[in-house]
Amino acid sequence: MRGHRLRVESDVRRRQVDQGAKGRRRWSRLGLRARVTVTFGLGALALSATMAGLTYFTARQFILHERETAILRQAFVNASLARSSLRSPTQNIGQLLDSLDTLPGSLSVLEQHGQWYATSISVGENAIPPRLRSLVLSGTPATQHFVLDGSPQLVVGIPVPSGGFAYFEVFSLDELARTLRILALALAGAALVTTAAGAVIGRWASGRALRPLDEVSKAAETIAGGRLHVRLVAADDPDLSALAASFNRMADALLERIEREARFTSDVSHELRSPLTTLVTSLGILESHRDDLPVRSRAAVDLLTAELRRFQRMVDDLLEISRVDTGSAELSLDEVEVGELVREAAQAAGVGGALVDIDPAVAGLRLRVDKRRIERVVANLVDNAAQYAGGVTRLSAEPAPDGVRLVVTDHGPGVAPTERERIFERFYRGHTSGRRGTTDGTGLGLSLVAEHVRLHGGRVWVESGVGDENRFVVELPASDQDPEATALVLGTDGDGPGRLPLETPDAS
Amino acid sequence: MTNRLLLVEDDERIRISMRLALEDEGYEVDEAGSGEIALERFAEQPSDVVLIDLMLPGMDGFECCRQLRRSSAVPVIMVTARTDTHDVVAGLEAGADDYVTKPFVAKELAARIRALLRRARSVDEPSVLTFGDVEVRPDEGTVERGGEEVHCTRTEFRLLCELATNPGKVLSREQLLDRVWGYDYFGDGRLVDVHIRRLRTKIEPDPANPRHILTVRGMGYKLTA
Repeated sequence: MRGHRLRVESDVRRRQVDQGAKGRRRWSRLGLRARVTVTFGLGALALSATMAGLTYFTARQFILHERETAILRQAFVNASLARSSLRSPTQNIGQLLDSLDTLPGSLSVLEQHGQWYATSISVGENAIPPRLRSLVLSGTPATQHFVLDGSPQLVVGIPVPSGGFAYFEVFSLDELARTLRILALALAGAALVTTAAGAVIGRWASGRALRPLDEVSKAAETIAGGRLHVRLVAADDPDLSALAASFNRMADALLERIEREARFTSDVSHELRSPLTTLVTSLGILESHRDDLPVRSRAAVDLLTAELRRFQRMVDDLLEISRVDTGSAELSLDEVEVGELVREAAQAAGVGGALVDIDPAVAGLRLRVDKRRIERVVANLVDNAAQYAGGVTRLSAEPAPDGVRLVVTDHGPGVAPTERERIFERFYRGHTSGRRGTTDGTGLGLSLVAEHVRLHGGRVWVESGVGDENRFVVELPASDQDPEATALVLGTDGDGPGRLPLETPDAS
Repeated sequence: MTNRLLLVEDDERIRISMRLALEDEGYEVDEAGSGEIALERFAEQPSDVVLIDLMLPGMDGFECCRQLRRSSAVPVIMVTARTDTHDVVAGLEAGADDYVTKPFVAKELAARIRALLRRARSVDEPSVLTFGDVEVRPDEGTVERGGEEVHCTRTEFRLLCELATNPGKVLSREQLLDRVWGYDYFGDGRLVDVHIRRLRTKIEPDPANPRHILTVRGMGYKLTA
């Protein structure tokens, strides 16, 4: 009850955080490496843009100031020149203006007694902004920036009351604007290059920093794949060695736990054997005196016998599985012909010869297998068919791309597609489990099939055949393939620690 | 004549149930709760077959079997809860002729005992079999190597006779199980392998590089002179 309420509360909280978390989640979906790259890139962009902006404005200020000073100086020089020239009455104003020393692109305009004179035809009185014009004509010197025909201009107006005229000079700032534009482009380009460089450095650095993580993830994947003895090598870097150490501790703990569980199963199975021995032996005595027993006791003994047999099989199966789990399963490999293997397995499983169908293409093929295990595989599949699918209709051997397939076909009903993998799990009973009450099954049969086949480096699956029937397919690799490719298999000859050397005809 | 069995087992209930079952099969059964008691009993009154549980308090089943072997070639069946190769092989190395795994069916155990007893008596081989410097006398039950007597258990002896009467012929493990252990076996080739090893240490000049008892890869064993 309490746990339930807690969960509800955390749900509410989760919803509240949801909105804010959405953006964050999208960001974190990018991946650490991409995020570092983007962050470095954005940082470089901000920094270089600021630097470029500052540079641009400082440079612009300086250049403009220099230019204005030069312009003003020249305008004053020209104004005083004009004043001294205009003292002589013979002086032609047009000639005077032409004779003035001006910067390239600048124009001179002069007003005397309401008359306007200019060095250019196109630029005259009208070109000068009215506000500045009136200001200067009223006796105040002034400067103003303005735009003429789309290009920036600076006009300087100097009233010369002693000469009775006002002198204006209009400077084109086109050149200056172009210079500033080029400067701005260069700075923007530099900023972009810096940004890209920042992103590249970010990517490289994060790649370097994340390389140990790559190793961790590889190791984790290997462990997930069942090879539990993989460990990380501790690096010199103190940060990384801590990571490696805690990863290895985790792997150790995992391994220990798995081993403990497997050992527990093994211990339980072994411990059960002593009472089982007494039970089996005593019941055997009762059974041999069965005829002396009253009818009701006889029925009870029969029940006990059947159930004890199932119990015993369950203990055997558990032990077999725990052996696979602890990695102490040992394959006793023999080279056998497929035809012989299948016929013997069929006989051991009680399948009539008429149901056995061996493709001539594989009959003579030699496989290196543990005969006992393969016979168990066939027997368990046959048992399964008998209990859940009306019995075996065919036991066949067919060629496979790199080995042979043993196929056990039954009457159906077919296994639902959603259960096709799950039926190989331990103690899994599917929708046909309604029959449990009458079966002798241990719930471990198919999972043992899967383990035995895996130990041989093969695969097992179920597919649907004609109509409602099931085809249980066991694919075994040809003998040139190394069964040790699967992680848990141990050798057949006793070269492992703690085992006595054991000579076998096929291992020496 | 009733055959006497010595049952070495520390679990009292298993012991009682086994005794009941084996008595039903027509044997006279002696009991021992530990290896030490078993050795004493055997010294007082030898049995025809000894059944030893491997997991005993104090002296374990392996040691009990080894000590028994020092003075006797009596057929020994070891009883084990573990089917791992290690235990089975170690038990056979200690000198056992056969093994059964708990829980076993009493009738099966009785059949194995019968097979061991039958083998111990059958005598129908030629008088002397020779290869290299080894002489086997089936009717006397003795093996000599270079004139010196070699002590073999009855199972080792039977195995050697079987190989020596078919020189140069490859015998599969199944054939040897059938002929030496006496009945259609469940096919545990480890029994044959360990006994072959034990034989080699007794009659081969260099057991690691056998000259007489050869392994034929994927097929079985054969004996050459």
